[in-house]
Amino acid sequence: MITIQNLTKHYGKITALNSVNFIFNDSKVIAIMGENGAGKSTLLKICAGILPFDKGEVTIDGFSIINNSIQARKHLGYLPEMPEIYERLTGREFLFYIASLRNVTDAEKKIVQLADMTGITDFLEYEIGSYSKGMKQKISVISAIIHAPKNLLFDEPVYGLDPLTSRTIQDFMRKRKGTTIIATHSTQLVEHVADHVFLLMKGQVVASDSVTTFMDRFGSIENAYFHYKDEVHA
Amino acid sequence: MLETFTAILTDIRRSLFQKIRSSPILYLFFSSMMFFSVVMFAFLTLFLMRTEADISLLDVFFGIFFIFFMKSTHDFHTHFINSPYLSYAFSTQVSQTKTIREIFLVVFFINTGIWFSFSGLYLLTLYSLGINIYYPIEYLVFSTGVIIAIFLGCSIAIHFFSSLRYRLLPTVILLGFYWFSQSMVFLVITLPLALLHLVWSLSHAMDSYLFVNRKERIKDKSQVKIRDIIPTICYREITVLWRDKLLFSFIFTSITTGLFTGYLAIYGTDLLIPESLKEYAGEFLPDMFVFLGIYIVVIYTAVFPSLNLFLNEEKTMWILRNLPLSNETIVRGKVLSLTLCFVTSLPVLAYVSLFVGLDNIVFLIWLLVFSYIAGIIVAVPLGAKYVGKKSDILLLYSVAMILFAVLGVAGNLGLTLITTRVDAFFLLGAVLIVEVFVLFLSLKLSAHILSIR
Repeated sequence: MITIQNLTKHYGKITALNSVNFIFNDSKVIAIMGENGAGKSTLLKICAGILPFDKGEVTIDGFSIINNSIQARKHLGYLPEMPEIYERLTGREFLFYIASLRNVTDAEKKIVQLADMTGITDFLEYEIGSYSKGMKQKISVISAIIHAPKNLLFDEPVYGLDPLTSRTIQDFMRKRKGTTIIATHSTQLVEHVADHVFLLMKGQVVASDSVTTFMDRFGSIENAYFHYKDEVHA
Repeated sequence: MLETFTAILTDIRRSLFQKIRSSPILYLFFSSMMFFSVVMFAFLTLFLMRTEADISLLDVFFGIFFIFFMKSTHDFHTHFINSPYLSYAFSTQVSQTKTIREIFLVVFFINTGIWFSFSGLYLLTLYSLGINIYYPIEYLVFSTGVIIAIFLGCSIAIHFFSSLRYRLLPTVILLGFYWFSQSMVFLVITLPLALLHLVWSLSHAMDSYLFVNRKERIKDKSQVKIRDIIPTICYREITVLWRDKLLFSFIFTSITTGLFTGYLAIYGTDLLIPESLKEYAGEFLPDMFVFLGIYIVVIYTAVFPSLNLFLNEEKTMWILRNLPLSNETIVRGKVLSLTLCFVTSLPVLAYVSLFVGLDNIVFLIWLLVFSYIAGIIVAVPLGAKYVGKKSDILLLYSVAMILFAVLGVAGNLGLTLITTRVDAFFLLGAVLIVEVFVLFLSLKLSAHILSIR
């Protein structure tokens, strides 16, 4: 469970998040949508503990991301929007590196399993510097889920992935237990995997409801998105 | 037209300005340090001229040549071989060779810029001290030497990472000829040859880029295993140092510096000092050469990798930050990798001892260990302060200057203790213990700096 209270973040004069409040419950896939610069990635970075914020409080399973950061991060898996990984390590070395730092038991078996699932097995012995964007994304996805965290933060999780791996990752998100938060622009992805949607615009939550409610009311997530976008900009 | 050239220069300029804006006082200090050292060199020149010391122009020329050779090699490696952004430029309809030539232009522009601004400031100071600076031919020869050094530095950076290593041969042959000829004129007249070699190297540069960026590593599979946290962080650092071939260059520098230092310690006084001054400087010079040798090795094998522990984490810091690790653990894991770098600095002692014998070996070991730890103490917090903001010459130069002053005083005190007190070794041991405590504080400070960002 992730709770966010009165979270505010400024980049110079620009307000990225303006006193936002969220409670992300267990066993749900929650989608955060919004236009470019709405604050989606900023929100996820703050929750992952890699970006400081100005005001408010963030807790992961009851642990504050500021005061109890290490405990909080134990319960998290994070995939950034454009993952940059150590280019000089091979895929296998990087995954063992993360597994060692996360204290994962039975790492070899898990890496083999997840590499098979994402279709990256044949490239594990190559340096990451030679990987395509999709292959880097696959390695980053594995590194985010290798320790089976209760809470997952995925920023554009299927971006750059081939259709088969994209479907596999979507299935994985649907079936897993725990909280999964995805920041995305893809309305299709939201309709396929999410239980709940938050619409974030200009650093504030303008609408939030279950996907089924949005679908019943507007016919599609895309329609809902444009409805609220027009409302905000009106 | 020159899109890549403009883009890289803009990136470098903005990065520097951003660092200056974020820490203006620190950068004011760095700049004044740089200014001060150039002026100091001018005063040193004045002193040497007044004492009629026989400083060889050839040695100064080759010293400058070597510095620019190393710097341009490093710059070309950073902006070409090691650049994560070039794939964008290479994917456009612009010829890849043209893009690589533009990268060379950046390196050329930066290094000649450094040469002309530093030498200009130096000459201006000499002029203000009343020294005649009208030596246009000499200045032209020195400038041509710098240009050739940049040409060959870029060429060696290209072929060192090529799958066809024999392509290094032309550069090595040229360098060999320079070494054996010991002539500035000979070096300068090879400018067309160096240019031709550079053009050929640039047209074959893509092979090296592709070779470095697509490597299968089946042999290293046995080393992939679960480790404890600090050894895991340390192992990654060492892997990168090994694969970027930095450990080899550390050992190479250590050996060559050891040989030069040893040679100068024995023959330097006869070669450089006139008979009339030997009485005053004769005893002082060998110790100074040994100190300088150890100092150079420490800058290259301790300060440079210490700064890069964090400076190089440009966009990958998110990996460590989102893991359940304390900043202290991260700092300790990274700093542990420097123990291997320390091992690469040891040959300097062995090769110096070949010339000067083993009489002072304990003191030399102490000086190396003390200098090495001092290098880490100064460099790691600065690296943590500028995490992800790639090294710039101001930073490296300032750390080098701070250390020069600290190690100069410490080395002198150590030598005085050794020669005057029976219990000197106990005192030197105590100094090391205190220094280790300061190192501990420095690592704490680095962890704190990381946490406030």
